[in-house]
Amino acid sequence: MESVRESAAQPESWTDAVGAPATASAVEYDFSNFYYSSSDDALAVLRPYNAWYSQARPQGYFLFGQPMATAPRPYIELKEQSELRRVQLLNLSSYNYLGLSYRPEVVQAAKDALDVYGLGAAGSPILSGTMQIHDDLQKELARFKGTEAAVIYPSGYSTNVGLISGLMRAGDVVIMDQNAHASCVDGAILSKAETRFFRHNQAEDLEKKLKKVAGKKVLVIVEGVYSMDGDVCPLPDIVEVTRRYGARIMIDEAHSSFIYGPTGRGVVEMYGLKDQIDIHLGTFSKALGGMGGYVACSTDMYRYLDAFSRARFFSCALSPVVAAGVLESLRIVQREPELRTKLWENVAYIRGLLDAQGVDVGESTSQIIPVMVRDDRRIMRVARHMQEAGLYLQPVRYPAVTKHRSRFRISISAAHSFEQLDSAAEILVSVLRKEGILA
Amino acid sequence: MSDNGTTLYRYRNAVGGFFDFPVEQARAILPKDLHPVELHHGSAILSVMAFDFTESEVGAYKELILGILVSPRVEPGTAMPHSAFYPYLLGTTTTASREHAIERWHLPHFMKDIGMSMEVEGEGSDRERLVVKAWDEGTPIAELTITSHGWRQAEQNHQSFMRDDEGTFLAQINMAGGLSENEEEAGRLKLFPHPMTDPIGDLDEVNELPLREIWMRDGVQTFQPLRVLSQAAGV
Repeated sequence: MESVRESAAQPESWTDAVGAPATASAVEYDFSNFYYSSSDDALAVLRPYNAWYSQARPQGYFLFGQPMATAPRPYIELKEQSELRRVQLLNLSSYNYLGLSYRPEVVQAAKDALDVYGLGAAGSPILSGTMQIHDDLQKELARFKGTEAAVIYPSGYSTNVGLISGLMRAGDVVIMDQNAHASCVDGAILSKAETRFFRHNQAEDLEKKLKKVAGKKVLVIVEGVYSMDGDVCPLPDIVEVTRRYGARIMIDEAHSSFIYGPTGRGVVEMYGLKDQIDIHLGTFSKALGGMGGYVACSTDMYRYLDAFSRARFFSCALSPVVAAGVLESLRIVQREPELRTKLWENVAYIRGLLDAQGVDVGESTSQIIPVMVRDDRRIMRVARHMQEAGLYLQPVRYPAVTKHRSRFRISISAAHSFEQLDSAAEILVSVLRKEGILA
Repeated sequence: MSDNGTTLYRYRNAVGGFFDFPVEQARAILPKDLHPVELHHGSAILSVMAFDFTESEVGAYKELILGILVSPRVEPGTAMPHSAFYPYLLGTTTTASREHAIERWHLPHFMKDIGMSMEVEGEGSDRERLVVKAWDEGTPIAELTITSHGWRQAEQNHQSFMRDDEGTFLAQINMAGGLSENEEEAGRLKLFPHPMTDPIGDLDEVNELPLREIWMRDGVQTFQPLRVLSQAAGV
């Protein structure tokens, strides 16, 4: 016990606690330095981590997870965590792409469900947790996606984890894009399948990986729109290679469902490849403004997942309140295509503003627009100045993205007005110029 | 060795390229109690490092190190390193340097002098690169290209784990000097079939593009006194 008491003592400085050279700056370290460790003590890494974080937080890490006091509207109010003041900011960070999370009809549907069902489902979906509203949502979703069935999950994360670990087993192979979401990776880990990654959006590299696993049960995983770069999957090429090698393909349309394609059915619809995709996944937390996720699939798959998708049935079912709100959002998406039109007008509008000023937006073609800063050491300071100038814009740096690819991630919504986008671009360009990021 | 027990090596250039390859191939090399850092689930990291030492207890020499990134050892009150690695085999250009490293650091070596060149191309330009070539009597071992991406002064701590017939050892290494690092995938690695690369297994599975490139120059590498983690029975 003596060593435990000693380890709990407050360090004199973060460099002492971390064992870093005395001249080191906290920005020399990042989260990746504290992920792997081996020790005689399971808690040994806590002290150096906390010593570093205490130093790093005021340098910009406080910008993460600041409590918001309003709905994720174009203007939000939050309690900033540096001086603990309430501030009003122009919001470019929420992925409320169609502005549905606070639509009156959606809120009313949730309130009505609250009166009928109460707050929670109070049970696993395979036991007592399935309510009529869940069934209604699943049927409406399957009808919208044009599939026989749809399975809903309490979060997007559990959807990927539950689907992949529900289907794949030790001895199988999962091959996914290197930029696939962490939930896809975690699903593959949990499945115990052999896991391989192909280079981002490169069908030729996928083919190299497929060649090496001939004769095995293989699932290829891609996303419709990638969340950090905002680029779109070259689905025709990926599908062609996957089909040629007899593998199955799954697409996660978390950031593309309900906004891409002529009727909002996703990137798959945009490319006309619906029948070529074996498994369609998506979330309710992006364009629909709720939470949870779904697998749109055949009746056969529905039944199998109902029996073997542990992440689903060992969790309480999605709150009926959320399910009701999401169902209303889904109905709005179908009856108001003008929301998608407005979203894409907004995307084109701000891209025009940023392009005119020479802002580097990487490879994005979607409503997710990275503003490349490419300076890991300065991004947090620039982010602080963005917030001081009135913009709510999240910084993204290593290890969330590769080194020197630090950026801000803009999420555009149909709810933004052109005037708001004008203001946002003006602040953004002004701060980037002051910081010397933009010439 | 200095009065405080540290050993200093001055280098002109020190480069490291880090490449993903299947974790099963890494586990085949690693002692069972060392765990590979995984870039992604299933992908371990092969490190290929080269040093151009200008000054040491055994004079000037060059060194090629093939290793695997592993979990660092963290104990209350001890250093939290930037990285930890298990060098599974080193090649040096002089016999004296090889004998010195085996005796003092228990580092495993290819037991012949190898040939090495480390040439800077495009110095000072934005296409600056260092090309390392290593060979064994005309047989190529590895070709590594590392690119630069801005320079700053830096000082970082690293750990190196060693195991031989006498036990298991840990070296704490401080690297100081000019530092450039990037993840631009601009460098390259080519490994050739050779006794130094044979333990890797299927060389085609090693990504030729580095996930990270590190280049340090005009600096000092400092080894703290070797720490014995466990001693083999009878030693």
